[in-house]
Amino acid sequence: MKMTHSLRGRLLWFLLAAITIAAVAQATIAYRTALHDADQIFDYHMQQMALSLRSSTPLSNDEARARQEAESAGGNDDMVVQMWSPDGAQMFHSVSRARLPQRAVLGFSNVRANSTTYRVFSIQTSNQTVQVAQDLAVRRNMAGNLALRTLGPIAVMMPILMLVVWWVVSGSLQPVARVRSQVASRQADDLSPVSDTGLPDEVRPLVQELNLLFGRVRTAFEAQQNFVADAAHELRTPLAALRLQAQSLDRADTPEARQVAVSRLTAGIDRATRLVEQLLILARQEATAAEGTAAKTRPVDLADLARRTAADLAGVAAAKGVDLGLQQADPASVDGQPDALQILLRNLVDNAVKYTPGGGTVDISVLSGAGTVAVQVEDSGPGIPPDERERVFDRFYRVAGSEAAGSGLGLAIIKAIAERHGAVLTLGSSERLGGLMATVTFKTPVQTAA
Amino acid sequence: MRLLLVEDDTMIGEVVLDLLRAEHYAVDWVKDGEMADTALLQNQNYDLVLLDLGLPRKDGLEVLRSMRARKDRTPVLVATARDSVAQRIAGLDAGADDYVLKPYDLDELLARLRALLRRAAGRAEPIFEYRNITINPVTREIMVDGTQVSLSAREWAVLEALVARPGAVLSRAQLEEKLYSWRDEVSSNAVEVYIHGLRKKLGSDLIQNVRGVGYMVPKA
Repeated sequence: MKMTHSLRGRLLWFLLAAITIAAVAQATIAYRTALHDADQIFDYHMQQMALSLRSSTPLSNDEARARQEAESAGGNDDMVVQMWSPDGAQMFHSVSRARLPQRAVLGFSNVRANSTTYRVFSIQTSNQTVQVAQDLAVRRNMAGNLALRTLGPIAVMMPILMLVVWWVVSGSLQPVARVRSQVASRQADDLSPVSDTGLPDEVRPLVQELNLLFGRVRTAFEAQQNFVADAAHELRTPLAALRLQAQSLDRADTPEARQVAVSRLTAGIDRATRLVEQLLILARQEATAAEGTAAKTRPVDLADLARRTAADLAGVAAAKGVDLGLQQADPASVDGQPDALQILLRNLVDNAVKYTPGGGTVDISVLSGAGTVAVQVEDSGPGIPPDERERVFDRFYRVAGSEAAGSGLGLAIIKAIAERHGAVLTLGSSERLGGLMATVTFKTPVQTAA
Repeated sequence: MRLLLVEDDTMIGEVVLDLLRAEHYAVDWVKDGEMADTALLQNQNYDLVLLDLGLPRKDGLEVLRSMRARKDRTPVLVATARDSVAQRIAGLDAGADDYVLKPYDLDELLARLRALLRRAAGRAEPIFEYRNITINPVTREIMVDGTQVSLSAREWAVLEALVARPGAVLSRAQLEEKLYSWRDEVSSNAVEVYIHGLRKKLGSDLIQNVRGVGYMVPKA
């Protein structure tokens, strides 16, 4: 039999099998019980017949025949009666094709003769031996008929039961079919939840999980769409600026105008270059993360890294009138990739300097705690409103109203690098400086064997 | 012609601003959606808005929708990097009159500006003709009896504003608004001076004085 995967088909098959087995069992039990009862009844009957034939005086053939016929009247029991005188001469045997062997086992016995089995009852008196026998097939037939009769109701009930089950199962599966057609008929980008009303309890969790999955896919999908839309904007804008700058250079008709146009074009090219660099850094970080290969790591001294970053960006900060310095430098070291961590810290500090107005302060701290090491960059800039702190990690997202021209990739790069180092990037408010406080927390493995 | 430039990108903004000023448009530049709203509410007299969509604080589409919601019919040219068909449809359906994709060509931008201004004035033909005078806004060529007349930039600006809507009377204050953006100093009798100059060059028929109201160019 081909194994069916249909719930309905399987239910029906198992039901059919169960009913059949039950019917067979019932018939078997009925047959056995009936056979047992028949044995008792017929044995008693044979005994009674034998006893009635046993008279003190030997009966004549006619008398015996009349007696036997009276005993077995109304039932075709195929009783065979034989009588012997004590000297072994057969005095009587009933009209029957069967001729039993002359045996003198007193009481009940089974005798095989003429390719049938007989049940024999013998009784002996002083002047005769009476033997009553019956073909066992009679009893079996009777028991068989009884057993067959018990199967009748089951045979009638079976199709009705199957129909009811079919109906109930179909009814219960109706909502499942509805969900199926809902899902089948939807557009590829339709990820709205499927209604789970009326679903059987067994199927509802599946649909609920499906809806949760839809939700997750939708979120990912939207993030992707946002990214594509943002990328289109962010990649085109520098190019649009370049084109306009080039055209305005073409139109400049005085040396002064030409000089302005050239310096604008140069600034435009610088911006496009920076964007491409940031994109490449991000792509490399994400590619390394995606490869999952444990890139070569070595201990990196964070305090030293912070000092170098501060020195690198001191010029930029000074040009903007921002006071950049190292607030605290606990000795701390993490296993990581020096280049990536350098990029991380540089981007953090660069962001802080960029978004802090002139006259402000940017502080770098390296903090060593129990089991963790953190790099913290605080500034006196405008900060990021709490409800935007999640979105700023999205590529190309920029906080509304921010004056600084950035690629919108800095935080995405920082996050990618931090995640690859098993570090956590959190954004908060700096109580000391009033601006943003960005903290990258590294877990340092507990040194079991130093 | 007075334009409102809404553009958050500094590099693009400064180039477009200089370009439009070189074309003798009076241009105000705002860098976010809320500023755009404020500017539009303060000055009802812009001839055209050049609108970027991806704006900080308030999206360009929202600026456009609220403009149209308060029945502001100023032509809007959307200039954006949002390039999907759905986004373009959304822009036009929100009430934009035209849509250019960044990066765009300066000359194309100017041509679209002129086309929108022309259509807003209710004209399809690019050249204005009145009796013996023809005025071509694209080339700024003005012919009187077949001979070319040259105008100063300010004179041209006054004439262009009047020719844009023949039959409509513009007050002195309205003409001043067309001439000057926020950064310009306005002298008290500047408009009269330019009108006088124009009448000397083009004859006194073209620009008519409606006493106590302002000036107009008759319908052709």
